[in-house]
Amino acid sequence: MNYEKKNQTENEVTLTINAEQITAPKTLSVIQALWHAGYPRVKGVGCLDGVCGSCSVMVRRADSTELTMELGCQLLVEEGMDVFFSVFDTPSQHSYDLSEINTSWDVQTEFHRIFPEAEKCRHCGGCDKVCPKGISIESGVDLAVKGRFRESGELFVECVMCNLCMTGCPEFIDPNHVGLFSRRVTGYFHTRPSNLINQLEAIRTGELDVDTSDDEQVTVMNGEKS
Amino acid sequence: MNSQLINSKVMNNVLLHPKSQAKELTDWLHGNGGAGLEKALSATHDIIPVIQEAGLRGLGGSGFPSYKKWQFVAEQSGNPDKYLICNGNEDEPGTFKDVFLLSNSPNQVIEGALITALATNINNIVFYINPEQKTSLESIRSAVEQWQASEFFTRVEDKLAQPLNIRVMASSGHYIGGEETAAIESVEGNFPFPRGKPPYPAVSGVHGCPTLINNVETLANVPHILKNGAKWYQDLGCGESYGTKIYCLSGDVLNPGLYELPMGTPLSELIYTYGNGMLLEKKLKAVFTGGVSSTILTPQDIDVPLDFDSVQQRGSSLGTGAMIVVSEGTGIVKRVTEYVNFYAHSSCGQCPPCKTGTFYISQLLNKIDTGQAKGADLDSLINLCKILPGSGRCHLLDGAIKIVDSSLHHFEHEYKSSLSI
Amino acid sequence: MTLNAPISYQQALDNYLKKSDFPAPQAIPDEELLLKQFHPDHREGTITTLQVGPNKGDACHKQLADILQADSRIDAADLAGARIEETDILVIGGGGAGCAAALMAAESGARVILATKLRLGDSNTVMAEGGIQASVEKSDSPQAHYNDTLKAGHNKGKKELIKKLVMDGPETIRWLIQQGMQFDLNEFGDLLTRKAGGTTANRVVYFRDYTGLEMMRILRESVKNSSIDVRDYCPSVELLSNESGHCAGAIISSLNDCRYVQIKARSVIVATGGIGRMHLNQFPTSNHFGATGDGLVLAYRLGAKLRDLDSFQYHPTGVAFPQHLSGTLITEGVRSAGAYMINALGERFVDELKPRDIVAAAIIKECNEGRGVTLDDNSQGGQGVWLDTPGLEARNPGLLKQRFPKLIKLGLKSKIDITKVPMLIYPTLHYQNGGVIIDENGLSSIPGLYCVGEISGGIHGRNRLMGNALLEIISFGRRAGLQAVKARQLRGHKQISIDHISNLRRELMQNGMSMEKKSPLLFPDYAKYDTEEKLDIKSRFSKCEVCNL
Repeated sequence: MNYEKKNQTENEVTLTINAEQITAPKTLSVIQALWHAGYPRVKGVGCLDGVCGSCSVMVRRADSTELTMELGCQLLVEEGMDVFFSVFDTPSQHSYDLSEINTSWDVQTEFHRIFPEAEKCRHCGGCDKVCPKGISIESGVDLAVKGRFRESGELFVECVMCNLCMTGCPEFIDPNHVGLFSRRVTGYFHTRPSNLINQLEAIRTGELDVDTSDDEQVTVMNGEKS
Repeated sequence: MNSQLINSKVMNNVLLHPKSQAKELTDWLHGNGGAGLEKALSATHDIIPVIQEAGLRGLGGSGFPSYKKWQFVAEQSGNPDKYLICNGNEDEPGTFKDVFLLSNSPNQVIEGALITALATNINNIVFYINPEQKTSLESIRSAVEQWQASEFFTRVEDKLAQPLNIRVMASSGHYIGGEETAAIESVEGNFPFPRGKPPYPAVSGVHGCPTLINNVETLANVPHILKNGAKWYQDLGCGESYGTKIYCLSGDVLNPGLYELPMGTPLSELIYTYGNGMLLEKKLKAVFTGGVSSTILTPQDIDVPLDFDSVQQRGSSLGTGAMIVVSEGTGIVKRVTEYVNFYAHSSCGQCPPCKTGTFYISQLLNKIDTGQAKGADLDSLINLCKILPGSGRCHLLDGAIKIVDSSLHHFEHEYKSSLSI
Repeated sequence: MTLNAPISYQQALDNYLKKSDFPAPQAIPDEELLLKQFHPDHREGTITTLQVGPNKGDACHKQLADILQADSRIDAADLAGARIEETDILVIGGGGAGCAAALMAAESGARVILATKLRLGDSNTVMAEGGIQASVEKSDSPQAHYNDTLKAGHNKGKKELIKKLVMDGPETIRWLIQQGMQFDLNEFGDLLTRKAGGTTANRVVYFRDYTGLEMMRILRESVKNSSIDVRDYCPSVELLSNESGHCAGAIISSLNDCRYVQIKARSVIVATGGIGRMHLNQFPTSNHFGATGDGLVLAYRLGAKLRDLDSFQYHPTGVAFPQHLSGTLITEGVRSAGAYMINALGERFVDELKPRDIVAAAIIKECNEGRGVTLDDNSQGGQGVWLDTPGLEARNPGLLKQRFPKLIKLGLKSKIDITKVPMLIYPTLHYQNGGVIIDENGLSSIPGLYCVGEISGGIHGRNRLMGNALLEIISFGRRAGLQAVKARQLRGHKQISIDHISNLRRELMQNGMSMEKKSPLLFPDYAKYDTEEKLDIKSRFSKCEVCNL
């Protein structure tokens, strides 16, 4: 992974990253381009796989007035691109403990207590526009407000908690946390797999155990069981 | 805003003249009122030429020649319905003139609106008022009722050859609701999201009908112009400028308040003559003009005539006429932070670069202002000011950037010294 | 070995598209020989012998040995003026293992600080796709899970640890569900399971190909809604020891203000993960940005014994093209679901569900012997083989979209419709099989020092099964969290210091070793953390030339 080795001008592009002009091979992501050009970058870099949400950037492409939000590790460099790394702390204003919701009957009331802003959604569509994963956030919030948590959570499957919708929400709803709440209550109250429960019981009673003494014998035992 | 803040001893007072201050219609008609509307009724086709000759411009901040807007709307004939929105959403920091006019002299505004309707053949007038300004709402409601019961009103309807609907509505209270297209959305009953242009409101506004939007102060001038003539209005101004302007003087001056002065009065005169100079006799450091959405004026601009063109030549804008004076000893970063926080809070949300951008800027400014920022944060701020402009649908984002950018230009040292070691 | 002319991308694609049927590959006659010849662990000249420390005399990868036998980043003088804080439990690392440990400790009533180099959740956990192993089916048993794990690890795993791991499986899934995690279920609400390479039963439970993402975001939310004091951007640069040589805390170096903070703790749980970003043998990696083996270095200096330092897992299916995504992982789940791997001649060459080390070695063999796809564009370099997603789609229409949304997205980013065109893959450095030797509660050989997750060694022997890492981090994370509270030093430490650093320096000098290199690395060299101004792009407003403050 030596980014300095390559030096083919015909395959390079020039772009601006945090006001620094940088030339880099066009096969690189903007983070790789920064490294290639020898600029240190430590914060705002995470999994490099597009799922941790730490590398959100603002991008203005050449000849465009539009400014988009994307994930730097997933963004291929382009000629004339202008990129700004946004590294800001965005703590959620909402706090809750699943174990304090007594039954699934209480979820809806609790939701509105924890997220009182959610029903104030003004439907500006900003969250949908800003989401680098293309999630229908506004609908997700709507569904949660209506108490349809399973459906709401399903919309947030690909959410990486980059918090862009949070900073983009004029009503301070914290939409990604609404989505995560929806997902969590669904798992917490409605996932009761019988195969898992049976196995837990068999382990509790000692019916299932592991013998570490001898590999041969182990195979036989296993054969008998199945 | 209470009436102690107005200074009526000033020459050339028109809108703030005691004869214009009348809550009751009868009082208004005994004072300055009625004559303008009479003239308008007798010769509706002359209204726009008179306004054009007088050189009336949009006093809500745009400075756009009023007659042009009117003419556009007047020319629209495809739709039987047309709307006039009298924009009283006034919500910017440092601006408090419309609330005064609406509360204390609603009649000159209403008469102005009626004349405008005659000129442009408008049959729907909406008084669009900030809901926080309870007295404005009460006062304009009561005045509208009196007008509707008056003989004038019937004559206007007859002239229009159709019923004239007047509605007084509370706006949503959102700052962004003052933007033209956002006001239209609001009148339609929606959240005040600014729309893209074109189509321009003059062609397609409220419910797709031609719509004219004028500021309260602009409309208030109309009866006086009609009554006294274009020449009279022109002569009110200083130098090249026409008419008067209500300046909202606030901040570190001895006598803050509303001053209706000839358009083009120098900044020095406003601050030192009318405002009685700086509080505690401190040195002037900066002036945030026009409802903070423009660049900062500094002591070297103290001679600037306060009219649209002159202020623009200094890279700033007159805007609403708000002049927020800042003295030495006040931190520019703190002030800018306060204003940008206001913007971040007011961004409507539909353009992510604006909402997120103002949020980032406000975060950075708060960090710098509280001494927790590093050089890299200041770099980020500067970079944001470069990358953000132009990416919002309305001017809110650009306004926020302008003030940060100009404060960085003039007071970079203050930003630097706020950084933590 | 015959060396043919390289087969270009286009030519290989033609070869592939021509075929409609891919017969099963021949069995590998000698798997051990294949590993010896082609697995990167066996590459000549890459292994050395450690000369200092508790593992003196043991085999170790050269690049790893370099950081284990390097000088500390700090001197005692650097601690002058450094703030001291106290807590019960200090957790180092913000991935799944760290969160699980911190949650259990906090739940037991302890004061917990969680310090992480990046942000909470910026980890390898969040990227795990395939799933988590737990024997939940009637046809399966912890015993079978145990057997498979031991066998895949070439019988080198520590039996007691494996037993704990597999017996914890079902309970771990229950705990995750109680944190609000979702899994893919069938129409009756039962957990769906699938096989992994090297498993004898359907044992991997999963949430689409986002298992790690789902797990990490609920753990992060749990942590943030707890009493745990989370410190983002706070890498640990050294452990603290007490008068008896026990672990007594750590020194963190904040990236926010470039200051050192000493955190005194009754117990320390290190969950710093692996070493992918050291790019062993110049391999690309599937690991996150911070996977630089920091915890190993810290623990080794304090005297903790390590194991299997010459054994690493190269995941068979890393992206080989396009370059900006190179090294990115494609889940083994795709092969579990039935995707083949095809060489440049259009032939299968290995049973795709063999353990990872075998499959990776087989791919390298194909490429080394001229049957790999060679990227002809010289800006790319590199080789690979096809992952036959189009074939999988043809046999199971709609399956890719339903089960592997992340993979579809990856294809889109690569401008490849994976239902029609195969992705080019090559092994990517994925996992450190060995690590700190631990007991069944994650305790290292040093009292007060717990190591959980990828940093620990012994569970996976010399090769790990898919899905066992996610199980390990939660199972052992929870164990360590509970035990660390139970066994914490109640009376506190008499004296804390970094005296063990002096011992290290003494040993290094006595052995005539270079003191030039410093560790832990904290960041890969290309991030320029040490060489330039420390933080991010140089600021024209810097007051301090060194650290950009």
